[in-house]
This record gives sequence, structure tokens and C-alpha cells, in this order.
Amino acid sequence: VIGLVVTDLVAAGYRVVVVDDGSDDDTGRVAGEAGAQVLRHAVNVGQGAALRTGFAHALRAGNTAFVVTFDADGQHAVEDVARLVAPLQAGTADVVLGSRFLGDAQQRQVPPLRRLLLRLATAMARRSTGLRLTDTHNGLKAFSIEALRRLHLSQDRMAHASELLSEIARTRCRVEEVPVRIRYTEYSLAKGQRLIDAVSILWDQATSRLR
Amino acid sequence: LRNSQFVLLGLLGLYLVYLWRLRTASTDRVAYLALALFGLALVANPEWTNSAARLLGVGRGADLMFYFFIVFCLFHFVTTASTIRRLQRDVTTLTRELALTRATEPRDGPQNS
Repeated sequence: VIGLVVTDLVAAGYRVVVVDDGSDDDTGRVAGEAGAQVLRHAVNVGQGAALRTGFAHALRAGNTAFVVTFDADGQHAVEDVARLVAPLQAGTADVVLGSRFLGDAQQRQVPPLRRLLLRLATAMARRSTGLRLTDTHNGLKAFSIEALRRLHLSQDRMAHASELLSEIARTRCRVEEVPVRIRYTEYSLAKGQRLIDAVSILWDQATSRLR
Repeated sequence: LRNSQFVLLGLLGLYLVYLWRLRTASTDRVAYLALALFGLALVANPEWTNSAARLLGVGRGADLMFYFFIVFCLFHFVTTASTIRRLQRDVTTLTRELALTRATEPRDGPQNS
């Protein structure tokens, strides 16, 4: 699946960086052969950590203006990347988030339990950050490089999505939401989060205040 | 609430403040040392625990020791957890640096976005 995702993005003319978070299959090799630049974590350190590795790479490369995060499980649509970057190019936003709950009738495609969980997470995020968003846990996001420099992220695992929002609120980045399509396939659902993950997210958030 | 409950809740409050605000690696060591010396003193003077327990209204000295043991365990859990957290952070940083140093070059393709 990751090979197809990378091939599509490369074909659309994007520079693709894949962070292989210590996987023991040949994810890295497949992604590399499909035309991506591969950053390989020697051990598994978590999704949030992997995203930050990608960000660090973009910041150091120095020739990057915008960064888009794109889940490798095939749930996003390549066409949506351009829609996400547009507000950045127009200079009306620093961070653009994809939302599966905006736009027409797409809501029906979200499986019920998942929708409930996402609604709950979104409601919590809205309360704690004051940002008026509709879908806070969507993997498709776009950042201007200046915004990435300002955001201070530290959550290694899955609590990174909520942490990002509080950082956006703290740094007063201009944020915008754009409707995107999510393709729920058997594969992406199997790779997706389960209810128990919500518990570990809350745990990570609670213990992050410990010294 | 009885005397003993006031004392225990107060101790718990102080303890939480310590965990969230005050602790550093060196104060942790001091705390461990203080607890060890305290334990030695109690072994040397077994009747202390009984009189302290009566003073607090706990009953037996052994019960008081049990409460102290629980507090010590909590303390130990938290110091261990914070060590693991720090190590995990270091591992993440090292892993990231290694990944960035060893980045493969993209095969070809345009250099935009």
C-alpha cells in the first residue's frame, strides 16, 4: 500500500519523505523504490516522534516552504494536498488541517464508532484550546515552514495530535480547515486507532506534566 | 475526620506538590537517603512506631508502617517512571538524529513543496 501512496504523490510532482518508524517489514525499501526519501528510525519510537523527524528534516533541508503530512495507509487523496497548500500559498493561514466532517455528505462514510470517538476528541480539543475546529485528528495537515519552527512539540506517541492543537493556540498560528476525503478501506481501518488508544493518549497527556 | 486522617491527607498533599513541582534528581536522592535513615531509626527504636500510631489514632505501629510503605512505593513508582520517560526522550532524540544523518537521497523527481 505504501508503495502506491508514494508513487501517486511522486507522480503528482511532490517531494515525498517517508519516516519508517522502526518497522520490521520492508516498508522503507518499498517507499524508497517508489521514489521517496526515506528516514529510518532504528527503533520504534512512536507516530508523534516520526512526524517530528520529518519536520526536523524539512527544517534542516532549508529549501522547503510548505510541509504536508500524509498518512501512508492510503486513506488520503492526493488531490487534497493542493487544496491544503492553497491557503498557505495565499498567505491566509500558517497551518491548514484536513477535515472529514466539512463539506457535503461525506460524514456518512465515517464508521459510527469512529465518528463518535472523533467527535469526542474534537469536543475536548475545542474546549481546551478554544480553536473552532470540526476534525482534530485528521492525518492530512499542511504547515508553513515558519509555523513549524514556532511550534514546540514533544509528544512521541499518539497524544501528538492534541498537543499540536494546544501549540497552535499558544503560538497564535492562523489555522484553517479544508474539507478532505477519507477512504476507509479494510487496510486503513485495521491500521487505524482503536478505543483503547484513547486511554493511552489520556495517560500520556496526564503524565507529561511529571518531571 | 480524625487526627490521623488530617495528618495523612496533609502528607499526601505535600507529597503531590513535591512530585509535580519540586523534585529533581538530587532531591530524589536526598529523599531516598532520608527514608533509609528513618527506617534504620525505627528498627533501632521499635516502640516509636507504636507511640506515633497512638498519637495519630491509627492503632498499631505496624499499621502506621504499612501506610508509610504505601507512600514509599508511590514515591518509587514515580521516580522510576520519570527516569523511563527521560530515557525514552533520549532514545527518540538519538533515533531522530541517526535517521536524519542516514537519510537516503530521493531517487529523482522535482524539488518543490
